[in-house]
Amino acid sequence: MAAITPQHSFEGDLFSQPLRNNTSNLFQVTEPDYKAFIPPNSLRRMSRLLKMGLTTAQKCLQDSGLGVPGAIITGTGKGSLQDTERFLKDIRQYEEKALNPTPFIQSTYNAVNGMIAVAQQCTTYNNTFVHRGFSFEHALLDSILQLQEGAPHTLTGALDEMSEEHFFIKSRIGYWKKELVNNVDLYKTLSPGTIAGEGAVFFSLSAAKTDHTYARIAGLKMLYKPSPVVVSAGLRTFLREQQLSPEDISLVLTGRNGDSNFEHFYKELDAVMGSAPQVPFKHLCGEYETSGAFAVWLAAHIMKAQQVPLQWFPMQEAFPSGALSRILIYNHFFGEQHTFILLERE
Amino acid sequence: MEALKQKLKQQIIEALNLQDTKPEDIDDNAPLFGEGLGLDSIDSLELMVLLERHYQIKVEDPREGRKILQSVQSMAEFIQSKQPA
Amino acid sequence: MAERVLITGMGMITAIGGTVAANLNSLQQQQSGLGFTRFIDTIYKEILPVAEVKYSNEELAQMAGVPGQPEYTRTTLLGLIAMQEALQQAGIHDLQEEPTGFINASTVGGMCDTEKVYFDIIDPAKEGDFLRYIDTLDCADCTQRIADRIGITGYITTISTACSSSANALMYGARLIKQGLAHRVICGGTEALTSFTINGFNSLKNIDKQACRPFDHNRNGLNLGEGAAYLVLESETLVKRNGSRVLAELSGYCNSNEAFHPTAPSPEGDGAYTAMKEALAMSGRTIDQVQYVNVHGTATWPNDLSEGRALERLFGSQTPPFSSTKPFTGHALAAAGAIEAIYSVLAVQHQLIFPNLNFSEKMEELSIVPETRLLEGQAVETVISNSFGFGGNNASLVISKYEG
Repeated sequence: MAAITPQHSFEGDLFSQPLRNNTSNLFQVTEPDYKAFIPPNSLRRMSRLLKMGLTTAQKCLQDSGLGVPGAIITGTGKGSLQDTERFLKDIRQYEEKALNPTPFIQSTYNAVNGMIAVAQQCTTYNNTFVHRGFSFEHALLDSILQLQEGAPHTLTGALDEMSEEHFFIKSRIGYWKKELVNNVDLYKTLSPGTIAGEGAVFFSLSAAKTDHTYARIAGLKMLYKPSPVVVSAGLRTFLREQQLSPEDISLVLTGRNGDSNFEHFYKELDAVMGSAPQVPFKHLCGEYETSGAFAVWLAAHIMKAQQVPLQWFPMQEAFPSGALSRILIYNHFFGEQHTFILLERE
Repeated sequence: MEALKQKLKQQIIEALNLQDTKPEDIDDNAPLFGEGLGLDSIDSLELMVLLERHYQIKVEDPREGRKILQSVQSMAEFIQSKQPA
Repeated sequence: MAERVLITGMGMITAIGGTVAANLNSLQQQQSGLGFTRFIDTIYKEILPVAEVKYSNEELAQMAGVPGQPEYTRTTLLGLIAMQEALQQAGIHDLQEEPTGFINASTVGGMCDTEKVYFDIIDPAKEGDFLRYIDTLDCADCTQRIADRIGITGYITTISTACSSSANALMYGARLIKQGLAHRVICGGTEALTSFTINGFNSLKNIDKQACRPFDHNRNGLNLGEGAAYLVLESETLVKRNGSRVLAELSGYCNSNEAFHPTAPSPEGDGAYTAMKEALAMSGRTIDQVQYVNVHGTATWPNDLSEGRALERLFGSQTPPFSSTKPFTGHALAAAGAIEAIYSVLAVQHQLIFPNLNFSEKMEELSIVPETRLLEGQAVETVISNSFGFGGNNASLVISKYEG
């Protein structure tokens, strides 16, 4: 795995990285030195999201110790905003004449997939999903299908950026809190809106365990625009399909984000999961379409280390004790795309 | 011609964001594509944008463009040939 | 034993017709949909030919049954119209009877409407109705509006891999069926013309100022198009249970990557060759069992060379008749794969091979030439349909006659 996120997630031991704070409601990533991963001739014309994506993908492959992947599958909600915004402005500024092609090319949603394929000389299956809170989840499902069809391993990732301009755009339709909130206080500031985030996360997924394995993805369920009742019923069904009951879950990672518009969904989760220990993750990464990938990354780290990075959860009063054998993730994106993911210890 | 070539080298560096390259690193006759600077077809289009924006010369066909863009020298000669006498 | 994936319904709207039957008629009449745009505000209005659907947004909204609702972008309206036809043709009156997935595709989503108001959206001093377009830009918007309108309950998502998007959507839907995750999935794509894409492709200098000439030595680039197309895919189990009428089988597919360059294919056509070869292998057919190839054939200089070489490598001296239908429909980007999949089904159903318009001179690098005549009464049983996109994304589909 590898991740470029608003936290110090890219290098070093996760469990000793201090928590990064943010008070602007726009939580941007901590960017690494891209030169270590991308040759200058490519780097010179790459926009921000593409640099984040390609670097994370390369690091992930290094981390996995596996060779060229059997499939490259990504999800993104908004693609490269920098390029889309620039091309729109260029069209206006230059009155449709003598336009630079590079931003247009890089604005295509699968641009980073092509770059990874060239960098890895990977000629096999390559796909990109662009569907809000299902973008990463379908990249994950597609990867699982690939593995079942015989691919030895896949490179599966999700990436999104938030620009100042797009932050303003989404503020106009009430996505963000009107008041400035310190990310650490996100959950006690239950009011309309949340904070914006971004990130690039990549996973190497394989059908067989290796020495580097972090966790096993045991289950995935998506619900589209469910009512609250359908959420709790869906969760019960999901657990039943895994032959589990709520007591079997060691830890729940929730996408709670302080948005009073959608808190009622998390109440359904609370009702089903009872006293199962819960930790929220959105104060770490902010809200964005593919934050589910951040949750899986975090859960996998926790699973492997058998501990939660306590310093990242100063607002948390209690943490699970004992062995962590199953982690459930529940997340949704502005009430429309809901996902349950189950991770198990390998 | 010398001044034009110097200006061109600077403009190429800016247009293609060749951050680690200085004008003196680019030889007048060195191939811009393949070897030399190692530019590709997208760079070729970007250089055609440069010609249009800075020199008001429009090249329609990208294959014709590649011939003009072989080196700084060929670019300078082309630009000069398009200037009014 | 993996399920067979059968096509039980189709719906489309393109520059050459608002239904499958209208498209078929235009293909048979050899009537291209190319002309100048009536609806896009651009300096290229009377310079660059495009294949525009011949209805205004107001007319499309009427046809789609959603008059006077501005949040339906042109992309959504095109998709809704095509979807309604597909459902009708498949005999689906109640989607809730069987959990049905929807795998859509688009490259620029609602940009057709957003680009008109973008600078108002980002201006804090401006307020107005345009704010309702903020959430319509992304690819998911059209997918969800269509899904909500018709009542989709299964998997729902949108694929965006440039020009191969809807072919990949068909592939993903087929795999969901084969892996037993769904019995019915509606797959395809929708794309509207935009100033963004017109200017984008123009900046690549691969747009022809005249009607495009696929596989011609003097080809000069593509013409953009727009449209929407959906195919209803069902498992053989469901087909037998319901007694659905089968139009054809999606018998093979392959997605392979060029891994060569962000926009250009490898000159030898490695990705195209692999995609066609593997798709055919999956279908269980051999090269001599292919009667027609509907090529990607955008008429750009690199694509046709690369694809032509790939055809020669795969078929040797036995290249079957092949044609690009993009002189009819333009290049409808994300929708192209599904549009051409439907044309491939029509070829099988009606025993036709469609002509490659505007061809006159053979490419000097190739020994093959496209089929320029409409061929009727052909024993077409297996068709390969290609869609190749930016990012080196190559998708080939094999459509075959279903004998049961």
